[in-house]
Amino acid sequence: MATIGLRAFEMFASRLSCRPPRIHAFTLRSLTTGTTATPPPLNSRFVPPASLETMDEVELEGDQVDFDVSSRPHRPRPENRRPVPPSPAFYTARSLYYDTLVQLQAALSLSRRALRVQHLLPLPPFALRALPPAQPAWANKAEMSLILQAPLTARMYKRVVTLLKELEQCERIARIADSTELEDAITDITKGFESKKGIQARDTRIRAREAKEKGPLDKYGRSYTVGRRKTSTARVWMIEVQKPKDDASVPAANTKSILSSSSATTPPPPTSTVLINSVPISDYFPLPADREHVVRPLKLAGLLGAFNIFALVRGGGTSGQSGAIALAVAKGCVAHVPEVEPILKKAKLLRRDPRMVERKKTGLAKARKRYTWVKR
Amino acid sequence: MLPLSSCCRHATRSLLAFSDSNAACVGLPALNTQVRNYAKARPGVVKPSSHGFSKAQKKGKGGELEDTDQAAATKRKRYTAFLPMPVAQLTHPLFETDQRNSQLQLQSFHPEILTEAVISQALAFPQNDKDPSRIFGLPRNLLVEYRILSKPCSVIRGVTIDVINRLDLASQEGSTNHRLVIAGSPGCGKSVLLLQALQYCYMRDWIVLYFPRAISLVNSTTSYAYDPRTQTYAQPVFAYQTLQRLLTVNGPRLEQLRTQAGVEVERRGTVPAGASLADLVKVGTKEQVLAPTVLTAVLSELGKQTAFPVLLAIDDFQAIYCKTKYRDPHYSRIQPYHLSMPRLLLEYASGLKQFARGAVVGALSGTDTTFKLPLELAEVLSLPPTSPSGPYAKRVPELQSYAKGLSRVSVPDALAVSEATELFDVWTRDRAIPAAPNDELFLAKYSESGGNARDFIWKGLLSTLTL
Repeated sequence: MATIGLRAFEMFASRLSCRPPRIHAFTLRSLTTGTTATPPPLNSRFVPPASLETMDEVELEGDQVDFDVSSRPHRPRPENRRPVPPSPAFYTARSLYYDTLVQLQAALSLSRRALRVQHLLPLPPFALRALPPAQPAWANKAEMSLILQAPLTARMYKRVVTLLKELEQCERIARIADSTELEDAITDITKGFESKKGIQARDTRIRAREAKEKGPLDKYGRSYTVGRRKTSTARVWMIEVQKPKDDASVPAANTKSILSSSSATTPPPPTSTVLINSVPISDYFPLPADREHVVRPLKLAGLLGAFNIFALVRGGGTSGQSGAIALAVAKGCVAHVPEVEPILKKAKLLRRDPRMVERKKTGLAKARKRYTWVKR
Repeated sequence: MLPLSSCCRHATRSLLAFSDSNAACVGLPALNTQVRNYAKARPGVVKPSSHGFSKAQKKGKGGELEDTDQAAATKRKRYTAFLPMPVAQLTHPLFETDQRNSQLQLQSFHPEILTEAVISQALAFPQNDKDPSRIFGLPRNLLVEYRILSKPCSVIRGVTIDVINRLDLASQEGSTNHRLVIAGSPGCGKSVLLLQALQYCYMRDWIVLYFPRAISLVNSTTSYAYDPRTQTYAQPVFAYQTLQRLLTVNGPRLEQLRTQAGVEVERRGTVPAGASLADLVKVGTKEQVLAPTVLTAVLSELGKQTAFPVLLAIDDFQAIYCKTKYRDPHYSRIQPYHLSMPRLLLEYASGLKQFARGAVVGALSGTDTTFKLPLELAEVLSLPPTSPSGPYAKRVPELQSYAKGLSRVSVPDALAVSEATELFDVWTRDRAIPAAPNDELFLAKYSESGGNARDFIWKGLLSTLTL
C-alpha cells in the first residue's frame, strides 16, 4: 500500500469516533484583491492564483469544506479554467511526501487525543520504561523513496521515520491497554511503510536478542566459540567433564605420592580430553609449543580437567591454528565461568591477535625488504 | 666370505672390541676373527705417521698435530646413546648430590607381588651381573631413559598382568599356542611391556632369549656369508654373540640340561648326546663359523626339553618380516627367511618349530621408518595397514605363512590417570623434571599428551619451558 489517502484518513478518524480537526488549507490571496492582511478564512478552498481573476466572488465566499470530495457539489467549470491540482503540495514536486507528512501528523494527533481520552497519555516514566521495546521494520531510505515517489534526503527520511516511531509508540500503548480498535487503526497506517527487508532485519534482531538472553550455553550445556589467528579459523565446543557418580571405583594402590593424599582412597582427578578435527591433540600437534598454546587458557584459569574440548579448525598453518584454538578456548572458558574473564584478559588471551601477513609493495622485493641499493 | 660393506666394517670393529671385552669376562681367550684390510685400534700404541701427503704435513705443523691426532683416535669412542655424567663428578653444592640417592625408593620387581593390587605402582628392576636387560641390551629409547633415571623401573599396568597371566599358562604348554605380538600406538609402552614380561620370566626360572633391536639383524650391520649346506646366508658374528649372551644369562640352567641327540657340527665332528647344553654353547662360542649351526641346535634342544620353559622375546618384531638391507650378488635385496638369524626367529614365531614349554613374544615398533609394518603382518594382526593394501597389492606367500597364527596383545593408547600419576611421581622424586612438580603441571601435560606415555614424559615434562 503506497499511500494512505484521504479516504483512509477519514476511515481512521471515523474509527476513532471523534470529530476530526479541520484540515488547514493554505490560501493565498492574490495581490490584486488588495485586501488587508487578514487571516485566511478557515473554510476556504485552495484556488490557484491564476484562477482568481476568473472566479466569482460568490464562489469564493460561502464555501463549505466537505471532507468527502465526491459528495461536494460539483460546480460546472468553465472550459477555459485551468485544471485543479490534485494536492495542495502539487507545486512542491514532492506532493506525496508532504501530504504523507501532514496526514501522519494528523493521525498522530488524533491517536494521542484518543489515548488521552482513555487516560493513557501522558504515561508516567516507569510505565514508559515498562513498555515492550519497539521492533521497527521500516523501509530504508531507498525503499521509502519508492513508496513516497520522491527522492528523499536523509533529513526528509528522518522526518517520516520520526513520525512513524511516534505512531508506533501510540500503537504499543494501545496494545498494552487492550485498545484493539486504536491499535488496528494505527497498524493499518504504519504497515504501509514497512518493507520485506525491514521485516527480515527485525526478525534477525529478535533472534539475536533471544540468543543473547538465553545464555552462552546450549541445551546440552556446551559453549560454542570461534577464534581466529592469521588465516586460521577455529570453532570450539566445550562441555563440562562428567564427574563419576559410582563410589565403587576406588584405586587399591597405596603409594606415597606427591599428588595423592595419604589415605589413597581419593579417586583420580578428572582430566580434559582435547580433540581437534576428531584427532587427539597429541596426534594433531606434534610440537609441544603448539600443545601448550591450546591448553594455556585452561591452565591460567585453573580449569584443567573441568572441560572437554572439541575443535574444528581450518586454514593457515600449525601455529596459526593453535593460536585460533587457544582464543576460542579462552572465550569458551569465559562463557562457562564468567569470573575468569579478568584473569584471561590480563594475560591477553581474549584478544584476537590482529597481526596478519603484510602485503608486498611495488618497488620492494617483499613487504619490507628492499632491492639492493645500487649507487649508479 | 663375501666382501664386507662399510657398515659391516664399522660394526665388526666395534663388535671386536665388545667381543674381546666379553670374552675376557667370560674367561675365554680372545679370538682372531676373519677381518680384512684394517687393523684393530689398540690403546697405547702410536700409529706410525704416514709417509707422503697428510694434512699435518701440509699444514707444516710437524709432529704436534700428529700426536694429538693419534691420541684423539685412540681415545675416540663412539657413543650411540646419551650417557650422563657420573653423579660423583657433580661436586658443587648446587647439585645436591648427597640428597639424590635417597630420593627414589621403589619396591623391587618380584614375580610374587605381581597381582591386580600392584597395578599403577612403579617397581624397580633388579640390577645384577646376569641381568638380561644388561647382557642382551635394551632398545635405544629405553636405554636413554634408564640412563637419565637413577635406576631402571617401570609402572605396572593392567595389560602387564594380562600378559603375565598368559605367560603363566604358556609355561605349561607348547609355544605354538602362545605366540603373542604386542601392538599399539607409538609411544604407548610396548617395549616396556616386553621388558616386564622378560624380567618376569627370568625371575620365574625360564630360559630367556631377548633380541632388543631385531632391526640389527636385517639392516646389514652384521657380517653375512652364504652357506651352501643350508642354502641361506649365515650371520656368524651375531649368532656367536647370541650364544655368548644366552650362556651368560642362563648359564646355571643350561648346565642342568642335557642334549637328547648328537649334534653334528661341520668340520668338528659330533657333540655326543647327553652332553651339557652349556658345553654345546661353548663349542659355538669357540669358533664363530660354527655359531649359526650351534645356535640352531641349542634352540632345538631347548625346544625338546621340558625342565624349563623358554621365552623368545623380540623387539622390533616387524623388522624380521620386512625385506632386509642385505644384497645378494645380483644386488637384489635378500628376503628375511634367507638369512640365518631372521629365519630362525621366523620359524619359532610361526610355530614351525616350537618349544615344548614356553612362548614367543614380539613387540612392534614404528620408530624406524625403513622397516615399517608389512602388509602380511598387519592383516594377520588386524591392524590398519601402513602400506597400500587391497586385492591388487602384492603379498609374499612365504611371509604370510610365517605370520599365520600370531595373536595380538593391544596396549591401551593412553595411560590411566593413576598410572600417569605414578610415572610423574617417579620422575619427580628422581629430580629429573626441570619444572615445579605440582598438579597443574601434571594435568596440563596429561591433557596435552592425551595420556600417551612417551609424549607425556619426553614432549611434556622434559620439553616444557614453564617453570
